Amino acid sequence: MIRNILSLICCLLFTQGLVAQVDKAQKGTYALTQATLVTVTNGIIENGTMVIRDGRITAMGSNVTIPEDATTINCSGHFIYPGFIDGGTTLGLVEIGSISLTQDANELGDFTPHMQALTAVNPNSVAIPVTRVNGVTTVIAQPTGGLFPGTAALINLVGYTPDQMYAGFKGIVMNFPSSGKRGWWDRRSEEDVKKEYDKNLKNLNKLWDQVKMFQTVTGTDNETYRPDIKAMVPVVEGDMALLIEVNKDSDIKAAIQWVQDRGIKKPIFTGVAEGWRVAKELAEAKIPVITGPVLSTPTRPSDRYDRPYANAGLMHKAGVKVAIRTNETENVRNLPFNAGFAAAYGMGVEEALKAITITPAEIFGLDSQIGSLEVGKVANLFVSTGDPFEMKTEIKYLFIAGYQVPIDNRHIQLYEEFLERSPGLKN
Amino acid sequence: MRKMILWVLTILVFSLAGHTQDIDDALKPVTQTYAFKNATIIPAPGEKMETATIVIKNGLIHAMGSDITIPAGARVIEADSMFVYAGFIDGLSNTGVPRPEREQQTGGRRGSRPDGVNPGNPPRQLAGVTPELHVRGQLKHDDKSVSDLRKLGFTAAHVVPRGRMLPGKGSVIILAGDSGEDMLVAEGISQFIQFSPASGVFPGTLIGVISKFHELYRQTEQLNAHMKAYQANPQGMPRPDRNDALEAMIPVVEGELPLFFEAPDVKSIYRVMRMQKELGFQLVITGAEEAWYVTDELKDSNTPIVLSLELPKKPKEKKGKDKEEEEEEEDKEMEMLQERASERMTAYESQAAVLAKAGITFGFSTMEASPKDIRTNLSRMIEHGLTTDQALAALTTTPAKMLGVDRTMGSLKKGKMGNLVVTDKAYFDEGSNVRFVMIDGHLFEYEAKKKATKKKADSDAEADSSVKIAGTWDYNMEGMGQSVEGTLEFSNTDGELSGTLSNSQMPGDAELVNMVLEGNTLTFDAPIDFGGQSITLEFEVVVEGDELEGSVTISQFGQLEIEAYRKGDPD
Amino acid sequence: MNNMKYNIFSGFLLLLFSVCMNAQTQTGSMLIKNGTVLTVTNGTMENTDVLIVDGKIQDIGQNLRAPRGVEEIDATGMHVMPGIIDAHSHIGLETVNEATNPVTAEVYVGDALNPLDVSIYRALAGGVTASHAMHGSANAIGGQCETIKHRYGTYNPDDIRMDGAPRTVKFALGENPMRVHGEGRGILPATRMGIEQVIRRAFAEAKEYKAAKAQYEEARKNGDNTVMPPMYSRRMEALEGILDGEIIIHCHAYRADEIYMLMQVCKDFGVDYLCFHHANEGFKVAPDLAAFGAAASVFADWWSFKFEVYYSTAYNATILTQNGVLTSINSDSGELIRHLYHEAAKTQRYGGLTDDEALALITINPAKQLGIGDRVGSIEKGKEADITIFKGHPLSIYGIPMKTNVDGVIYFDRENDPNDMRLDVNPEEAMPAFFLDIQDYKHENCMHGTYQTFNTLFRG
Repeated sequence: MIRNILSLICCLLFTQGLVAQVDKAQKGTYALTQATLVTVTNGIIENGTMVIRDGRITAMGSNVTIPEDATTINCSGHFIYPGFIDGGTTLGLVEIGSISLTQDANELGDFTPHMQALTAVNPNSVAIPVTRVNGVTTVIAQPTGGLFPGTAALINLVGYTPDQMYAGFKGIVMNFPSSGKRGWWDRRSEEDVKKEYDKNLKNLNKLWDQVKMFQTVTGTDNETYRPDIKAMVPVVEGDMALLIEVNKDSDIKAAIQWVQDRGIKKPIFTGVAEGWRVAKELAEAKIPVITGPVLSTPTRPSDRYDRPYANAGLMHKAGVKVAIRTNETENVRNLPFNAGFAAAYGMGVEEALKAITITPAEIFGLDSQIGSLEVGKVANLFVSTGDPFEMKTEIKYLFIAGYQVPIDNRHIQLYEEFLERSPGLKN
Repeated sequence: MRKMILWVLTILVFSLAGHTQDIDDALKPVTQTYAFKNATIIPAPGEKMETATIVIKNGLIHAMGSDITIPAGARVIEADSMFVYAGFIDGLSNTGVPRPEREQQTGGRRGSRPDGVNPGNPPRQLAGVTPELHVRGQLKHDDKSVSDLRKLGFTAAHVVPRGRMLPGKGSVIILAGDSGEDMLVAEGISQFIQFSPASGVFPGTLIGVISKFHELYRQTEQLNAHMKAYQANPQGMPRPDRNDALEAMIPVVEGELPLFFEAPDVKSIYRVMRMQKELGFQLVITGAEEAWYVTDELKDSNTPIVLSLELPKKPKEKKGKDKEEEEEEEDKEMEMLQERASERMTAYESQAAVLAKAGITFGFSTMEASPKDIRTNLSRMIEHGLTTDQALAALTTTPAKMLGVDRTMGSLKKGKMGNLVVTDKAYFDEGSNVRFVMIDGHLFEYEAKKKATKKKADSDAEADSSVKIAGTWDYNMEGMGQSVEGTLEFSNTDGELSGTLSNSQMPGDAELVNMVLEGNTLTFDAPIDFGGQSITLEFEVVVEGDELEGSVTISQFGQLEIEAYRKGDPD
Repeated sequence: MNNMKYNIFSGFLLLLFSVCMNAQTQTGSMLIKNGTVLTVTNGTMENTDVLIVDGKIQDIGQNLRAPRGVEEIDATGMHVMPGIIDAHSHIGLETVNEATNPVTAEVYVGDALNPLDVSIYRALAGGVTASHAMHGSANAIGGQCETIKHRYGTYNPDDIRMDGAPRTVKFALGENPMRVHGEGRGILPATRMGIEQVIRRAFAEAKEYKAAKAQYEEARKNGDNTVMPPMYSRRMEALEGILDGEIIIHCHAYRADEIYMLMQVCKDFGVDYLCFHHANEGFKVAPDLAAFGAAASVFADWWSFKFEVYYSTAYNATILTQNGVLTSINSDSGELIRHLYHEAAKTQRYGGLTDDEALALITINPAKQLGIGDRVGSIEKGKEADITIFKGHPLSIYGIPMKTNVDGVIYFDRENDPNDMRLDVNPEEAMPAFFLDIQDYKHENCMHGTYQTFNTLFRG
C-alpha cells in the first residue's frame, strides 16, 4: 500500500516534472491510465487504459498491459476523448482579419480550384496552439471567395510542414450561386438578386461543360496548360470530394438538383444554414452536410430565434448525416461549444459529439483513421476533467498524431505573465 | 457618385431643349366666364346640389344654384350627369419645383464633397440647412409635376423647396399660371423639415440631423433674445451676429410659423412628437404612412397631420408553378407570413379610416406618391373604411384650413377662387374620369379614358404570346424637370431579346441587358459607361400594341417616366 | 387601434401588446416559486421564492405567499438569475456612427432608438433584459449613448429607454478613428498621439466655453445686461457634462498604451471615472486601471480580427477581475448578445473564475459600469424585477433561458414562443429576404454605418 502510494507520488512528480519541461510536441510511447474512455464508436470504458505508440492507439481497455518504455500518465478521474474535427475553417490561412497581407484564403479570380490551401497554411500561426488546447486536433483549412476558390485540405494541428500536418483528405471548394442577400448592407432588389443568380448558375454550367470537355482532351495533342480545369477532373471522375457551400433553402434544393444532374459522386454540402427547411430533401438525396456556425443569427428576421442552434439537430432527425463546423479562423477553439449548443437545442450530447468526431471522419472517408478512440487509429485525442463541451472543464493533456502537445499558447503565456504583473503598480 | 450621375445624366441623357409643350396650356381662353350647366355640385363634403349650375367669372365663383342666369358671353359646358367639386389641395409636395441642377463642384476626386470642405463643419448649404429659402424663383409653371397633379383634380398645393434637412419655407400655389411666381398664393406659410442627412458631411446621419436641429433651435432662441435686447437698447452691447438661417427660424421659435415635419414611419412620428414636447414648436406632421399607431397621442396632443398618398404596392401574384414546388411545411410557414404581410397591408390601407374614425382631421400629401397611383390609392383607402366625404374633406376643406387659405379655397362658394374639378361620375366611383379642371379661370379639358384598364388585366394571360416588342421605338423620357427623346431598338431572335438605346446626346448606342418580357411587362437595363463609371438605367415598361409606357430608375437617384411609340410595323 | 394585425400572435403576445400599448413603463407582479436563486451579490439560495410586485422585487425567501391575483410561476429545478445586462451593444438603434467629425459629443443615439429591431427579442431569448445602446467608434469622441430596457413589443422608441439611467458618451481610441479620419480624410488624428491631442483640445475648449458661460452668469448677476453668453453649442454642452462627471465616458480602446493615455488625460481634467470597452490589452495595465478606479467591459475571446487585438488573451477578464478591476463581458454584436451567459462561462475555462464571479461579469458589474447597479443586476429586495429563469445552470453549455422578465413583465417565454416575432413587417414581401450574418458578427459592429459613409466620401 505504502509502496503503491509512493510510486503514485513518484509517478505524479515525474509526469508533472515532465509536463513542466515540455514546450515542444513529444513523440513517444504513452500509457494513459485509470481514465474514462469516451470512444464515441464503442461506448464508454470506465477505468480504462490507453497505450499510444508510433502515433497510433495501440491498446485500449480495462485490462491493458503497459509497455515498459511507456510514459505513464495517471488520468484518474479524467476522461479521454477523440480529438475534435472542424469541417470548415480558415485556420492558418488568415492571421489578422483586417490586414490583407496576412491573409491567404482568397485568391483573385472566380475560378481557381487549383489554389492549394495546404500550400499556404502557416504552421506557426499563433491561432493554431490557441485552437488545439480546447481539444480541436484536426481541421479543414479552406480557401474562400469566388465560385471555385481552391482546394481545401484536412490538417492536424501539429507539425511544421504541410506534409507533417496533412491529415489525408482534400476536396475542391465550390460556392454554389446564391440567391440570398449578402448582408444587411445589400440593397439589391429581389429581381436583381435573381438575375445575378441565374447568370451565375449559367456560368457554372458552362464551366462544368468545359471541364468535361477537358477530360476528353486530356492526354491528346489538344491538351493545353489549364491547371485550373485540370484540378477539377478528379471531381468529375468521382475521385475527389466537392465541398459545396450553400445556405438558402431554395439554393439547397437547386444544389441537390445540380449535383444529381451533373452526377457528382462525392458531394458534401457546407454551411446549410437553412437545412432545417429542406431537411427531407437533403436526407433523400443522401448528401452529407457540414453545418455551422451553430452560434449564429437566424437567416431571416421572421425565423424563430433558436433556428441556428436547432438546425443541426433538425437535419439529423430527418436522417441527414450532419457534421458541425465553426467557419472560423482564430476562434476555431469554440468548436466544442458550437456542438454543445446543438446538443442543448435538440441534437443531444451523443450525436453532437459525433458531429465533431466520427461523422466528419466518415464524410472525409477517414473513419478508419480518426474520429474515435479505436485501436489502430491515429492518436488524436485529449484528456479532460469532464465533459469537454462544458466551459468549466479543463483540458489536461493533448495528443495529436501521437505527439504529446503541450497545453500552452500565447493566451496562456500572457495570462502567466500578467496575472501578477512585475513591475506591478509602482516601479 | 450622385454628382457623377447627375453630370452624366445632364450631358448624356437629357436634352435641355425640346421640352414637350403641355397640351392643356395650348388652350387659349376666348372668354373669362364659364358655366357648368346641370351638374351635380358638391360645394363641400356632405353637401350636394342636383341639376345645378356653377358660373365662374374672372377666375372667381360668380354664382351657383339650380335656377341661376348664365351671363351672356359665357362658355357654357353641358355638364349633365357630371360632378363638380372644389379643386383638391395637396397638403405638401415639391410640385412645380424641379430638381436643382447641381452646379459643377470643384475637385471632388473623392466624391460629392468639394475639396477644402471640412466634413465636420461644412457650409450650411452642404449640410442642408437653408431654412430661409422660398420656392419663389424655383417654381416652373410648365413642370410635368404640375400637369400630372392637375389632371387628377388637384388645383392647389402646399409646396416646399427641395433639399435635405431644412430645405426652406413652404408656399401655397395654384397649379396653373403663366409663370412660376404667377402660381403663388400664399408665401412662407410654413417651415419644412425632414430627417434627411447630408452626403458625406455633418449631419451625415439621423442622429446628426436631430442634434443639428436642436442646436439651431437653441441658437435661434438665443439670437432672437439678443436681437430683441439690442433693438431695445444697443448701447454697450455687442451687435448680434447676422445669420440668414437662424433669422429665418425666428418665427418658428416664436411659435408663429408651423413646422411641417416629414415623418413617414411610426418611429419618425414618435421622434418628431418628442422633439415638439422638448422644444415647443408648432407642429404639423406630414407624409405620415404609419400614423395609426399614434392615434391616441395625436388626439391628445391635437397635432395636425398630413397623410401620405403613397401606399405599399400590392405584390404581384406568384405564378402557380412556383407554389406547387413548395413543401407542405413551407406552405404553412408561407401562409402565416402571407397573412402577416396582408394584415400589415390592410393596416396601411386603413390608416386614413382609423384616424378619421378617431375624429382626427388630416390632409393628404402627394410628396412620395407617384401621380399614377394616387387615384388607386384613394380607392384602396375608401375600400378600407374611409368615407368619400372624409376623403373629400382631406383633399379640400381640411388642407385649406390647415394652410390658412380657407377663405379662398377648399369649398365651392360664391366669391371663392374658381378652383374646381369636374368628373363624369362621382370622383371616387370606379371608372370615373376627370373631364375638366378649372383653376383661377384657366380651364383644362381631358378626354375620358378608354375602358382599357380592366380588359388589360383580364387578358394578361393570353398577352404573353401576343406581345411583340421587336422594332424601332421613339421614346420620350420625362422627370426631374427634364425630358429627352431618342430611339429604342428591340429585337427578338427565337426568344432571345436584345436591343439598344440611343439619343442625339449620346456618343454611341447603349446595349440593353437583362431583358425580360413577362406578360406585357418588359424590363431591361441600359448600362451607360462613362470613363469607367457605369450608370445603369433600369427600365420597367408595359407594352400595349405599338405603345409602351413605364418607368426608368436610376439607382440612388430617382425615377423618370418613359413613353414610346413604335415606328413602322413589327417584324 | 387596428386589432386585426395581432391576430396571428399567441395569447401571450396579445397580452404583451395590449400591455405595451398604453403604458410608458408597464410593470407586472408574480411569484416565482421554489427555484435555485442565483442572487449574484448574496450567493445561491436553494428552493427559494421571489415575489415581484409592480415591477419590483418585494421579497426573497421560502414559502412566500402570492398576494391575491398575482400569478405563480413554478421554477422547481430551475435557476433564477438577475436579467443579463450588456454594457456594449448596438441593437435597437437606427443609426450608430456619425462619422463626419473626430468629435461628435453632441449627437445622441437615444434620438434614433429602434424598438422594432427583432434583435431585442433575440437578446431577451438569451436572458438579456437591458443593454447599453452605443454610438460607434469612428470618432475619438463619439456620440452619447442610451441605456435601454428590452421591453419588446412597443412601437414607441421612448418605451425602451431606461429612465433615470445616467448619461453616457462613447469615446474611441486606436485604429478606428485613425482609419476614418487620418487615413480616410487626411485630418487629425492619424496616430495615437493625434487622438490624445484631439481629446485634450476638445476638453480644453469645453473648459473655455464653461468659463465664458460662468462669466456671463456673473455679469448678469451683477446687473450687466450687455454681456451675451457664448453661442450655444450642443457639443460643448455635452463635453461640459463629461468634465462635470454628469456624462460617463465609455471608451472603445484596445491597446494598453492608449488605455493608459486616456487615464492620464482624465486625471489632468479631473474626470475620475471611466469605463474602457473591449480593452483587449486591459490585462496589461490591470493594476493601473484598478488604481484609477476605471472599469473594463471586455470580449470573452475575440481577438486577431485586427492588429491592435493580436496580442490578446482569453484570460483578460480573469486577470482584470483578479486585479480588482470592475469587469464585465459585453457582446458588441446582435449574435453574441444572445448568449452572454455562455461568454461569461468561458472565464471558467480561461482562468477558472467562480460561478459568482463569472455571473457578476454579465449582471451586477455591467450594471455598476452603467450607473444602474442600485436598480438592477442582482436579485435583491427593492430592485427592479428584471429576472431570467434558466433550465439548467446559466454557466453550463446546456443551460437554456426559459423566461425573461423586465419590470416583472414576461417578454420571453420559450414555452410560448411564436416563430415570427417581427414588429416590422414588410407588406410587399411576405417572406423576408435571406441573408447570412456570418461575416458581420465576427467583426466589431462599432464600425456599423461607416462603410457607407466611407463610400460616399471617398469612393465617389
